Amino acid sequence: MEFNLKMAMFKPALKFAMERAGHGAALGFKLTRVGQGQAEMTFPYKEEVIGNPLTGVVHGGVIVSLLDTCCGCAAITVLDRRAITPTMDLRLDYMHPAEPKKPIFVSAKVYRNTANVIFCRGSAWQNDEDNPIAHCVATFMKVDAEGMRFSDILRRRVNRLFGAISKPSKEVLEEPK
Amino acid sequence: MTQEISSPENIDDRLRQGQITETVITARRANDPQKILDLIPYSSFIGAQAKVESEGVLYWLERRASNIGNPTLPAIHGGVIGGFLELSAAIEVLYVLDVSVIPKVVDFSLDYLRPGRYKTIYANCTVLRQGKKLVNVSATAWQDDPAMPIATARCHFLLP
Repeated sequence: MEFNLKMAMFKPALKFAMERAGHGAALGFKLTRVGQGQAEMTFPYKEEVIGNPLTGVVHGGVIVSLLDTCCGCAAITVLDRRAITPTMDLRLDYMHPAEPKKPIFVSAKVYRNTANVIFCRGSAWQNDEDNPIAHCVATFMKVDAEGMRFSDILRRRVNRLFGAISKPSKEVLEEPK
Repeated sequence: MTQEISSPENIDDRLRQGQITETVITARRANDPQKILDLIPYSSFIGAQAKVESEGVLYWLERRASNIGNPTLPAIHGGVIGGFLELSAAIEVLYVLDVSVIPKVVDFSLDYLRPGRYKTIYANCTVLRQGKKLVNVSATAWQDDPAMPIATARCHFLLP
């Protein structure tokens, strides 16, 4: 019961982070399902991201983004403490080219969750889930988020701002050398 | 096969392939890999650019709000870094090797070494091996210092 409640609160936040901001919003990703250790997303076809002007097939980079995001979503769901999950590595195998003007579906699953590393598998398909266009494996590091509190982020931003202000004067001092 | 070639769509395809070949050859002559990048819509979507430097082709990606992955840091989306490196590797194959058909990616492996901060990313590529059918390209991305890469990628392309 507690798990359901947690997931129910988690999903809108994750959905917001993936669909409304940054690159996910630019590409038009839709997070269709999130569960414990798994996630599913959809990408509607977009002409702006064509990789081969001859065939109209989307660029592989879009599939990289989709699978990275989807595996990342699945990885976040298995965290048991405040942490962030940067990607360590991602490996993609392209099985066959995507068809133009058709949406791409991706699903990702966590298949092993250890103290420090989360192992994920993902696949992308269009017509048939059993005949994917790409497969991927991705590993994520668990980095404790104690230093990721809002106050810490704010403090670091302020420091960076002061750093940026004091930097030009340093350069002026160094210039005469 | 011969039947297919006579169909109108295929003739159109061959004409457009001819335009691509022509652009690639002009780009090599003019030392301007940007011309090849301009052929691919995805490159302008993420904002990738390229120029020739003394040690090879330098690719770069200026910061852009639509490339952000984590708005609180802010950091560039890992997928954008991956897509940018895959794109750079493909352009490297077209520009450096005697290939004028957009190569097919077979596999792509990416190691993230440092977070991509919200500023320009640079990349360069090396063709490690060219066979009759397969090309292996490695690509490295950095931000401030080439000795401190943010990601490295390895990519296999299948030649037609």
